[in-house]
Amino acid sequence: MRTINRVRAGAVVVAGVLALSACAGSSSKAGGSSGGSSSTSSAAGSSSASSSSSSSGSNSGKPTLEIGVQGPLSGDNQALGLNIEWGVKLAIKQANDKGDLPFQLAIKEADDQGDQSKGADAANLLIQDQKVIGSVGPAFSGPTAASGKLYSDAGLVAVSPSATRPSLTSSGYKTFYRVVANDSVQGPAAADYMAKVLKATKAFVVDDKSQYGTGLSTAIVAQLKKDGVQVETDSAPAKTQDYSQIASKVASSGAQAMYYAGYYSDAGVFAKALKSAGYTGKMISGDGSKDPNFITTAGADAAEGWQFSCPCLDAGKDPKYADFASGYKALANADPGTYSIEGYDAANVIISVLKGLGTATPTRQQVADGVAKVDYQGLSKEIKFTPTGDIAGSSIYAYEIKSGVISLIGDISKMPGIGS
Amino acid sequence: MTTSILELSEQVRKLRKHSAWYKNPIYGRLAVIEALVLVLSILTNETQGSPRDYTLLFKDSWFCVRGVQFLVGGLIIWVLAEIWRARGLTKIAAQAAQPVRNLRGNPVLTNPWTKRAVLLLVTVIAVLLPLMGMFTLPYFQSVLAGQVGVYVLAALGLNVVVGWAGLLDLGYIAFFAIGAYTTAILSGKLPVGDDGNPELHPPIHLNLFFAFPAAVVLTMIAGLILGAPTLRLRGDYLAIVTLGFHEIVLNVANNDPKGLTNGSLGATGISTFRFNLFGVHYDWRTNDSKPYWYLAIGIIILVVFAFRRLEHSKVGRSWTAIREDEVAAAASGVPTVKYKLMAFAIGASTSGFAGVLATAKITAITPQNFPLTLSIFVLAYVIFGGMGSLTGVIVGASLMTFLPAFLQGPPSWFNDGRPVVDPKDVPMWIGAVLLVMMIFRPQGLIPSKRRAQELSQAEHGVGEADAMTGVAEGVGGQ
Amino acid sequence: MYITQHFWELLFQGIRLGSLYALIAIGYTMVYGVLQLINFAHSEVFMSGALGGVFMLTALVGNKGKVPSGFAAFEYTALALVAGAAVGALVAYSLERVAYRPLRIRHAPKLVYLITAIGASIFLYNVAGKLFGRNNLQVPESFHSGKVFVLPGSGAAGPRTVKSLDLLIILAAVAMMIALDLVINRTKLGAGIRAVAQDTETAQLMGVDVNKVISRTFLIGGLLGGIGGVLYGMFHAVTYTMGFVPGIKAFTAAVLGGIGNVRGAMLGGLLLGIVESFGQAQFHLQWVDVVAFVVLVGVLLIRPTGILGERTGRTA
Repeated sequence: MRTINRVRAGAVVVAGVLALSACAGSSSKAGGSSGGSSSTSSAAGSSSASSSSSSSGSNSGKPTLEIGVQGPLSGDNQALGLNIEWGVKLAIKQANDKGDLPFQLAIKEADDQGDQSKGADAANLLIQDQKVIGSVGPAFSGPTAASGKLYSDAGLVAVSPSATRPSLTSSGYKTFYRVVANDSVQGPAAADYMAKVLKATKAFVVDDKSQYGTGLSTAIVAQLKKDGVQVETDSAPAKTQDYSQIASKVASSGAQAMYYAGYYSDAGVFAKALKSAGYTGKMISGDGSKDPNFITTAGADAAEGWQFSCPCLDAGKDPKYADFASGYKALANADPGTYSIEGYDAANVIISVLKGLGTATPTRQQVADGVAKVDYQGLSKEIKFTPTGDIAGSSIYAYEIKSGVISLIGDISKMPGIGS
Repeated sequence: MTTSILELSEQVRKLRKHSAWYKNPIYGRLAVIEALVLVLSILTNETQGSPRDYTLLFKDSWFCVRGVQFLVGGLIIWVLAEIWRARGLTKIAAQAAQPVRNLRGNPVLTNPWTKRAVLLLVTVIAVLLPLMGMFTLPYFQSVLAGQVGVYVLAALGLNVVVGWAGLLDLGYIAFFAIGAYTTAILSGKLPVGDDGNPELHPPIHLNLFFAFPAAVVLTMIAGLILGAPTLRLRGDYLAIVTLGFHEIVLNVANNDPKGLTNGSLGATGISTFRFNLFGVHYDWRTNDSKPYWYLAIGIIILVVFAFRRLEHSKVGRSWTAIREDEVAAAASGVPTVKYKLMAFAIGASTSGFAGVLATAKITAITPQNFPLTLSIFVLAYVIFGGMGSLTGVIVGASLMTFLPAFLQGPPSWFNDGRPVVDPKDVPMWIGAVLLVMMIFRPQGLIPSKRRAQELSQAEHGVGEADAMTGVAEGVGGQ
Repeated sequence: MYITQHFWELLFQGIRLGSLYALIAIGYTMVYGVLQLINFAHSEVFMSGALGGVFMLTALVGNKGKVPSGFAAFEYTALALVAGAAVGALVAYSLERVAYRPLRIRHAPKLVYLITAIGASIFLYNVAGKLFGRNNLQVPESFHSGKVFVLPGSGAAGPRTVKSLDLLIILAAVAMMIALDLVINRTKLGAGIRAVAQDTETAQLMGVDVNKVISRTFLIGGLLGGIGGVLYGMFHAVTYTMGFVPGIKAFTAAVLGGIGNVRGAMLGGLLLGIVESFGQAQFHLQWVDVVAFVVLVGVLLIRPTGILGERTGRTA
């Protein structure tokens, strides 16, 4: 009996020692909040921003300015929002580390969940904070429609890395810019890709009945018809429980190419069903699905061979992007995802304007004027804006999943058979 | 091998027989406290889990310094609590609280004039709120007008259906959506033509104030259409039908029959309120939320007045009778169908009203703004605040809508202006608050007198707390 | 006609989806039987079952994409189902102990139960999201889902092919339902459950340990829901919010069959699956929910307590 007690006591001690030594990656994260129990001081990612500001903040008493991020930081489509957020954080960290700015930069997050009805609140959160001199976002088109006027009235510049609804730049928002091509560019490019590169004579377009999916599929169908392709369309609302029937329809339609306009979490399930229905044509989707989570959901087998059209440029293995990719990975503990580069570029556009102003107390108006005239060589492209806020002359890229990895095929406009 | 196992088990048995220490309830309490503390150590952890390593968060909250800190903290709490118990401090605390408890029966408090004074005070505070402290910030003003005001109004309406008439409605926001779409159509942004451009097809273009009566009439009709065939269903069957109604309304809106709703794109650029009366012109602008807040307060005051009169009228008493026992009510001559329909229609129209208000504030709507979860949330606001009690519902809805906004973007004096919790974790905390609240205070924050009475009676075994889900005996098993 | 050409295919798809609905619906209906509570948190029981299955598969198969074959495939699949059932049962059981029992002791009104269930549901799925990430989890394949036979019909053969995963879903569901039916009708526990469902107080007076019966009811419901979750995960996707839509559908199915009635839940589930399948073919996928709910309302107007629900009780 006594031995048992002793064993038990020993076990407790051993467990305790093991426990203390096995403190997971939290040592770096817990740095700011060693209080332990009351460690709810800031959002997950802000630890990095705060650590970077503390590292260089010690050597000077510079004032702090903030760059806002508005996007879906929680909710169903948060992966896209988080990709952007980490991109912005990286840009800020690099700017602070360089130390040639007369102020410290920090990030301010505003979560709109991708939900239109929360867009105004999120924008107000940024607008009311006088330290915020520019915003990266809103990420989604719905919240942009709900908050564009607020930004415009407040004179706060909003550079969206991903809101692609065409009408946004014709709504009279004076301070809204975007660094990606809108759906009226992506849609036709994707359609041309299907018609001229994949040489499909019959195509099937499925949308997910979301704002994004409907807009994109409408643009694609219009261009496909123009290209003389026979088009069949159907809808599979997001969160559909059983995709087998729509997959059967696609499989028995005889279409050589199928385009799915929707987000990755549903696209992955749809891919499974298409595989199971034995569809052999080309399967393509858009920027909303181009995410590693698509492969996770569908499984490597069903995801293989899927292609994507996207106004975004991926870091990939190109040495040009190696710096970005490694910096991102060190910060976010994940590979860059869709719109990470665009988020990074959008933040850098604002930072370059600030640098050009060279003052420690720039006004929002100065920043807005600066962004309107900016000509900045971003990582994804050269960034110049049209007077309405669209990006001047931008490209749509095609991607394909090859042996489980999303890899770049190329710029669609430069492919043979297109543009001629 | 076998013998050793036998020996061991024998020893274990002996050990158990000798020392049943663990049967002592104080160790049970320790276990509960430590378990809670372990859960808390995960909930309050900033780290978010990752699909690459499913054990990450456990490692990061339990098997490291943090876990030990929490366990020790739990131990200290337990020791303190046991000392507290041993000294009989609970009794002393109860005695100390006695004066407060005595206050309840105080004639000054029950005096109707006191109530009116308090009501007036609350109204004054509400009106002055946007001039005070953090509410001068546009974010909180926007939250007040767009969330608090709107959902207080909606919850007040649902309170009529659920709290007074005892009908379980899980599709309440469907009427809200109908009100919102009415607004969009009347302001000329819907329906759209084939080219998706609304401006070319303006059937009507009205001042938004006209949307209120239109929405009220429409939602009332919708309420009657839904209610008339379904109100003979028993509680939970009614719940699923109303839930289905919500789904149907959403699906129809999203599927865009004949361009009426513009599908998932919805309507944007909906005009806001304005009036031009007797030479006074006023425009509610989207960049200032205060006027919307005042409008909401005005409407809420009117609604509260109307509902208070209703509550104490014949109608209110009939609702109570139906809620308590429908069969008995019908037997004593209460036209139950009429009154149930009435409750449904009043609730629906209030929801529609709130829908108009919300739309004018957001100026853009899509079907995604009216998810099923919103219906469920509004129901939660009602029960959380105290079903059947107007004050309770107002307080409950305000708190539950304000809390998440505050957690996500507190003013600078609180937590240095940083989000209190990760936005991703906010729903988790809301769920936890709801759960804990219901377990420890099932009657809600400020229960109505009658319901509190019913509940305490039920607790002492006198009668049922609720007749609302009907008497389900016999509809079970096989 | 699309429907006549694809009749067998549609029927099969309907049965496959319907048997999943039925497995979840049983949990709703059993809890409703003993507590008169719409256990909204059951969708989270379903979700946690799926998570249990995924963890087991990840541990056994790994994420490298190698699909086991032969006995290993069989073993891993069975273990995943067992893990799902265990986690589902555990979550359901703790729900009852932590959330519902305190309310039952205080005789709280039914609506309070309902809001507690909703609160528990919101809390649980968000905790799951926090713990394991908020994106779809990878579900490793435990076996290669190959062709078994081809259903009759016209058109391409691909969609008409019945695969082993489809058969697994249907067979597992049917086996569980038969087992449950035996438990309910042939065992002492089943008699207890039926007694409590009919009249809790009388059952207690007759010597039934009500607390124990209710706990067991949650356990059984959780077990089936967990298995449903694993099967659903193999067929669809696993993520923290996965419970909501199937939960609503299964609840609909339970009501359709007559809530509180176990055979009704099975029937309702299958029927709902088939209605959705044919409704989808006749109209479009985007109208499928409307079709399902219109059918539900239609049935309830004719039989206000569902297909197999009895017309008893004073207010029925």
